[in-house]
Parts: sequence; C-alpha cells; structure tokens
Amino acid sequence: MPDVAFVALSVLIIGSAIFALEAKELIYGAVGLAFSLIGVAGLFILLGAEYVAMFQVSVYVGAVVVLILFTIMLVRRESGRIVEEEEPGRLGRMGAFVAGLVALAVAGAMILLVPVSPEAPELHRVLLRDIGVSLASSYSVALVILGLLIGATVIGGLTLAKIDREKRTDGTAQ
Amino acid sequence: MPALPTLQEIVSLAVRIITSRTFLEIVFFPGLLNVTLSAALLTWLERKVIARVQLRIGPLYAGIWGILQPIADGVKLMFKEMIFPELADAKLLMLCALSLMLLAIAPVVAIPFGEGLVIADMDIGLIYVFAALSLFPSVILLIGWGSNSKYSFLGGLRSLFQQVSYEIPMWLSVLGIVMLTGTLNLSEIVKAQQNVWFVVPQAVGFAVFFTAGLAELERIPFDLPEAETELVMGWMTELSGIAFMLGFLAMYTKLYLMSALITALFLGGWLGPSILPGPVWFLLKTFLVCTVMIVIRGAFPRVRVDLLLKAGWTRLLLLAIANIFVTVVLILLGLGWVWRV
Repeated sequence: MPDVAFVALSVLIIGSAIFALEAKELIYGAVGLAFSLIGVAGLFILLGAEYVAMFQVSVYVGAVVVLILFTIMLVRRESGRIVEEEEPGRLGRMGAFVAGLVALAVAGAMILLVPVSPEAPELHRVLLRDIGVSLASSYSVALVILGLLIGATVIGGLTLAKIDREKRTDGTAQ
Repeated sequence: MPALPTLQEIVSLAVRIITSRTFLEIVFFPGLLNVTLSAALLTWLERKVIARVQLRIGPLYAGIWGILQPIADGVKLMFKEMIFPELADAKLLMLCALSLMLLAIAPVVAIPFGEGLVIADMDIGLIYVFAALSLFPSVILLIGWGSNSKYSFLGGLRSLFQQVSYEIPMWLSVLGIVMLTGTLNLSEIVKAQQNVWFVVPQAVGFAVFFTAGLAELERIPFDLPEAETELVMGWMTELSGIAFMLGFLAMYTKLYLMSALITALFLGGWLGPSILPGPVWFLLKTFLVCTVMIVIRGAFPRVRVDLLLKAGWTRLLLLAIANIFVTVVLILLGLGWVWRV
C-alpha cells in the first residue's frame, strides 16, 4: 500500500514540477509549485513525520506560494503575452552542466553510501514531545541562533519599510 | 503473482469498508453530512437572526419558519447558468471554488465532536487545522486574479492582507493552552478542561482567538474583502451558479468549523452535565458561538482598512504575547496541574 501511495505522490510531485516549469502563464507556474509542495508534504507523512508535513503545508504552500503569487500580481505584465524564450548563453550552458553534474554526484553518493535492502526499514515515529524536549535541551543553541536570525530579519524589514516612508514624506521617491 | 480476488472477496471487502466506523464517521456524523447540513442550516440561522435583530421576520414560507429555505437556494443555484466573464479564467475559477470547499471541510478530520468521536485522533491535530486554514488566502487570491475583474482582485488582495496578518495572533493565542496541557491533540485538550474550561484562565487568549477568527472568516466587522458597498461581492463577484454556491457554502462551513474549534479549545468541547450526551453538548455550544458571531454581524459597523491592520499587528499581537507570559506565570505559581492531562 505505501508503494502505491509513493508512486502516486511521486507522479504528482514530478508532474506538477514539470508543469510549473513549462507553464506559459506565471500564475499557473505558482499553482503547479503549490501542488508539488503538497506532494512533498505527503512524502513526509509516508515517512512518519506528520509534524514536518504540516509545517511544510502551512509554511511553503500557505506562505511562500502566497508570496510568489503576490509578487507576480504586483509585477504584472500584460496577460496573454508569451515570454520569448532566449537561447541560453555559454555561461548558462556551463551552469546547467555543473548543476547536472552535482545532482548526479549527490544521487550517486546516496545510492552508493546508503545500503539498499529489499525490506522496508522499521518505521519509528518520533513523538512531538520528544522533538520539543531535544530542541529545548541539546539543540537549544541552534534554537536561540534561529530566533536571533528571525529577529534580525524582522528588524531589517522594519528598517527598510521605514526608510521608504521617510523618503515618501520628503517627496523624493515619488 | 498473487491470485486475483474473487467477486465474493471484493464484495465482502466493500461491505467491511462501508460498515466500518471510520467510513461512517467520514460520511455521516462528524464528517461530510454533518458539516454540509450544518453549513446550510447556518445560512438559514443567519437570515433569521439578522432579521430578528433588524425587527424583520426573515424566511417564512419554505417549510416551518422557512427552514427549508437553504434547500430552495441550493436547488436554485445548482440549476442556474454558470456565467464567467469573457477574459476570466473559467478553469482556474472552477478549480479554486472546488478546492475552497475541500479546504473548508478539511479541519473536521481533527475536531473531536464527542469522546472518541473524531475521524483521525492526531497528535498534531491543532497544527493540522491551522495548516488547512493557512491555505485559504492563496486560493482566494487566485479567484480574485482569475476573475479578471477589479472588484474581485481588490477583494482578493484585501482578503490576503487580512488573513495573513490575523493568522499570527491566532497561532499565538492558543499557545497558552498548549503550554498548560502539554499537547496539540484536540481530544486531550478537551479532556484537560474537566475541572475548569480554558475560557477562564485563557480569557485574553479567547478574546484574541475569537477576534482573529472573525477576521479569518471575513465577517462583519471585518468583512472588508466583500464590502458590498465598495466591492459588490468582493472576490466572489464573478462566481455564479455552482461555483458561487461552493464559495458561499465554503465560507459557512468555515464559520461552523471555526466555532467548533473555539468550542473544543475554550468551551470544554463535549464536556457538560450528563443529562445530555456529549456530542449534543458540543453541537449546542458550537451553534451558540455561531449565533454570537451572527448577532455581531447585526450589531456592528465595518471597520476601516488601516484600523483593521493596525489592530491586528499592534493590539492583538501584543495581547497574544502578553497572554503567553501570563500563562508562564500561572505555571510557575504551580497552578498548571489543574489542566494537566
């Protein structure tokens, strides 16, 4: 049964990712990305990490996709105009080549390093309470640093917004 | 190669699935039938209560007290022609209307309507409900964009601003409960209220959650996304026929399940004197919360956009964080045992 679910989810993820890349309309690309991310959340559920799955949905689909949609809508181009695809330059080709090599290397390393067994490994669920305890004890430094990072980001955002407003009252940035 | 199942096996499997408890729960009581019927009933209740507030009578002729009015409306909308503007994205609109309804029903999976009467008793039920709620803004924004109409688009943008900024105080306002009970499982949160309901120690959290809930539901006084004097019908302007019915019903389903969530989190869920069974208490409390929200609609004017965002970011957020600190003090004073599971 997990195999069927895994195959269905993989088809959903890869299919909607291809759709997102190939869509002519940017908005459709964002919708495809949302479906792809929901599929990834499904994979997390199959792995027994429901907590990660729920945050995958609420952060990536609920927040990041909204951000992308919002940006597309604010930077609106005339609808119906098809983006002309440019022939990739030499640098672009080299970049694609390097990216492909890296992906191949990672995939190869995973296949070679992780032992493959015909039976599915024992699935042990981690209790949310245990995650919380280890976050607050052994990983507390990482937690504090993350908090500081988010705080700094918020302060930076507020500063940017404030500069914008000051300029506007001067009438310089109209 | 395993042998193909015989017809008898398939039939017996089907019977086993249909008569299983989970299937019955999904289809009937806490599940689909309950939610859609209650949402339809809420449209009637809303008309009737608003009419009473405004000294009118409301629906009267369809059935006794006009209680069959929602069915008449549903049949009417189902047979209406679906009209989409020429440049609107009809496929996207239909997809969004459908997913809106699905998203509105989704939280019912984790909400316990009685002792053990929950479709999936998840460890992370609360996060699941919030994750489902957090998907609404993107769908509504897509409807606003796909309609290719300025009213829909402005409504969609307003809805996005409102829901995204009120989601944060909403998440924070329930943290006090999570800290007191030490669990995110909604059934266990209800069980923890055996002695005192959470509306007492978490009065501030309740106020924040209720206000943020009204804003998430886009109801008066926070109904800016569909302010009918400015935006016709907001993001629903260009929906018609079945698509409109789905969008409309989705908002009432959301109202019902939000009230159910408030009942489970703050009002003791199915707990109550044993003269009535638990689920009945749950439904009574849920409909009471709905009625309060409807009366608020009759009694208050709409707020201004800037005041709405200011209240969300400066007042509610601060109140929610203050509530967390007060809860910490409660726990440090040694009162936490009252709500320990």
